[in-house]
Amino acid sequence: MTGPAILLLLAGLGAIAWVSGRARALRLKASVQAQGTQRAPLHSLPGYHGWYVALWTVVPAFLFLAVWANVTPALVTGAVLDSPAAQSLPSDAFSRGAILGEARAVASGSQAAVFNPLSQALVEPYRAATSRYGIAGAILAAVLAFAGGAYAFTRIRPDFRARTRVERLVMAVLLLASLIAIITTLGIVASLLWESLRFFSMVNPIDFLFGTKWSPQSAALGYGNDDAFGAVPLFWGTIFIGAIIAMIVAIPLGLMSAIYLTQYAQPSVRKWMKPILEVLAGVPTVVYGYFAALTIAPALRDFAVSIGIHSASSESALAAGLVMGVMIIPFVSSMADDSIAAVPQSMRDGSLAMGATTSETIRKVLIPAALPGVVGGVLLAVSRAIGETMIVVMAAGLAANLTANPFASVTTVTTQIVQLLTGDQEFDSAKTLAAFALGLVLFIVTLLLNIVALRVVKKYREAYE
Amino acid sequence: MTAPLPFPKRLPTDWKSDAMQKRIARRYASERRFKAFGMAAVLVSAAFLAFLLFSMMGNGLRGFTRTEIALKIDFPTSPLLLDPATISDHALANANLPMVTSQAAQKLLGKDADALLSPNAWLSIRDAIKADPTILSRVATISVPASTGLDLAAKSTGSPDNEAAYQRLKTEGLVSTGFNSTFLTSSDGTDPTQVGIWGAFKGSLLTMLVTLILSFPVGVATALYLEEYARKNWLTDIIEVSINNLAAVPSIIFGLLGLSIFLNLLHLPRSAALVGGLTLALMTMPVIVIAGRNAIKAVPPSIRDAALGVGASPVQVVFHHVLPLALPGILTGTIIGMARALGETAPLLMIGMRAFIATPPGGVTDPATVLPVQIYLWSDEVSKGFVEKTSAAIIVLLVFLLAMNGLAIYLRNKFEKRW
Repeated sequence: MTGPAILLLLAGLGAIAWVSGRARALRLKASVQAQGTQRAPLHSLPGYHGWYVALWTVVPAFLFLAVWANVTPALVTGAVLDSPAAQSLPSDAFSRGAILGEARAVASGSQAAVFNPLSQALVEPYRAATSRYGIAGAILAAVLAFAGGAYAFTRIRPDFRARTRVERLVMAVLLLASLIAIITTLGIVASLLWESLRFFSMVNPIDFLFGTKWSPQSAALGYGNDDAFGAVPLFWGTIFIGAIIAMIVAIPLGLMSAIYLTQYAQPSVRKWMKPILEVLAGVPTVVYGYFAALTIAPALRDFAVSIGIHSASSESALAAGLVMGVMIIPFVSSMADDSIAAVPQSMRDGSLAMGATTSETIRKVLIPAALPGVVGGVLLAVSRAIGETMIVVMAAGLAANLTANPFASVTTVTTQIVQLLTGDQEFDSAKTLAAFALGLVLFIVTLLLNIVALRVVKKYREAYE
Repeated sequence: MTAPLPFPKRLPTDWKSDAMQKRIARRYASERRFKAFGMAAVLVSAAFLAFLLFSMMGNGLRGFTRTEIALKIDFPTSPLLLDPATISDHALANANLPMVTSQAAQKLLGKDADALLSPNAWLSIRDAIKADPTILSRVATISVPASTGLDLAAKSTGSPDNEAAYQRLKTEGLVSTGFNSTFLTSSDGTDPTQVGIWGAFKGSLLTMLVTLILSFPVGVATALYLEEYARKNWLTDIIEVSINNLAAVPSIIFGLLGLSIFLNLLHLPRSAALVGGLTLALMTMPVIVIAGRNAIKAVPPSIRDAALGVGASPVQVVFHHVLPLALPGILTGTIIGMARALGETAPLLMIGMRAFIATPPGGVTDPATVLPVQIYLWSDEVSKGFVEKTSAAIIVLLVFLLAMNGLAIYLRNKFEKRW
């Protein structure tokens, strides 16, 4: 039987259990009421009794099936190997595995025919064993479902606390759901650390963090491993694009937009302009990347050539940084917006009453008061910019240059991760594993930036009453 | 308390003096400059957005049209190996249609006809025969797609040769420009006149479905637990810190996670919508949790107290009262999170969704690609005809994103309640 069919069947059983449990509770209620006692006829509503029976029917059977599905492949393979047809199999484990795999694929219908004649003989034993274990699993699950349901059914009494039991399960499910965040975080850290450690067993971490020559391709081809994984040019490229060029665009534009929209603009203008600016954050980064590569980068190159810079590349740090800066504007402006709005009106009024102009009030009173929020916003924006991938993949180039020339091609951490992990992937080479080491650095740096940003906002935000 | 300082002896400010007037003028000028600078910042940002959208529109709208050549084919005399009585896919595939097409084109357009016709023009003939087998017994005129070069010439960006050919055909009345329905119904390919977004679109839908099914219940359950039941202890602290961190982790890191856990450890199928959805769900979940917590926090305590007061259990309070009231807010956050997931590319590249996939996926375990990845793949194509296809795909993606964001704003405005 297929997975969905079994799930449907279980759901049906659960529904029947719910109805019968509820019916029994209703009957009990009626009989208790008929005796005319003063107490409430049932502790829990009939529906909860229904749920109790249904859960006892479905949950154990489901858990059993989940375990069974993971156990049976090994059992099936064992049964096939014991069958007479398996006697002729070669003894070497690799070809044996290939033949078994092919037979399994044909038996399960994912492959139409066999290539290896030895597999053909195993298809029938495979089918037989699969269906045998399938039927055994179904019977066991059915027995579990009925046993669980019957157990729960017999426990229904007027004073049985069905609701408490059901609610305990609900709470357990909620807790489990919230643990997924921890599991994910652990998964990220574990997978990055694990693969990075394998990388650092091949490449010295000092060379990786402080080396200035990045050429994983030549390392993969076998020209000496030692100095090919110096990541400094990547770190520089990332900082150059994400923290310097992008911020030169994003901070003035974002901050001034926030100031204009909160302090000067008519409410109607603000109502329209704010969502328009927010659209900038909603445009997918692949669109920005395409735009940067197709429109901005050639225009910048032409401009650079026209002012006499002949080394200008068509994939430049400037193109990627400019477009990324525009993408970041809404982050800066909304953080600045929030922190300016948090400055009490009385301070603004006080400054204006002293005769300061609006701009003087903003520059001398509002901005200093809102500075922690603005700085926090900028740090978050930087963290976002250095983790951004598609814009730099499409517009920044692949050459690992240690240059401050914005018209030159530079490469970034994220670009290199994409480069290293596409194409051939053997997970034993330093070239592929280097991507995980870069990922680890990226993860740590963005995490630190975020923590610092939140600290700045929390600690240095002035409290007003 | 010390004695008050003596009031400084000085004359009142002479506002009318030249020095003072100059100072005021300077301050006002600076005020105007500052304001103008603010306005310029807003306008520059908006202008960039407008420029981006217009340049995509300019290129992309052309991608929705294509140039067609009306090809006259004399079926009875053509060397067609097809019996009108038995038409099957197999027979059509072996019926020598490419040669028939090429011959008809040469008769009509001269010896350089092959360069003017899309290499897959015979597919249109095949579809026409399939739709109406009776044309096999007569001379039929069928519109077939023109080659990329001619198509670009028709959109006035082609090479001089193609421009000339286009002018010649146009005076003969053989070419026309029509809506490119292929673009909406077909999948990736190597010939820009034949590619479409349906495969990527279906892949996006399947991926989004997996993402939604996984992230929404988990996200809502987490938000409920943290906001309503969690006691303040180390476990709750760790959960909160992890969620906030996950919300700030760069998306490509989720791709690395998906690659090493789902593909290398669990051996789930590569390039599948299932793995893409799983990866994006881990990314979307924190967004839903954070939006959900805000929505739940906004439900006033009096409602909980009232429900508890009439004897509801804590679970009943939440599921009967708090959750229904918080649901619009949670939905708004979910839509925003889904919109972000829909536009995401980098993590999907990591899990192998950048493969060339020419058939739409049938299920969540089939190899699939999604719209943003399709855009990325097309942007790398050398053939010039892909530029407008890429922009057209971007338009489709943006329309969906704007629609989702619009829906979120509408929901927020409609259901926003103030207690």
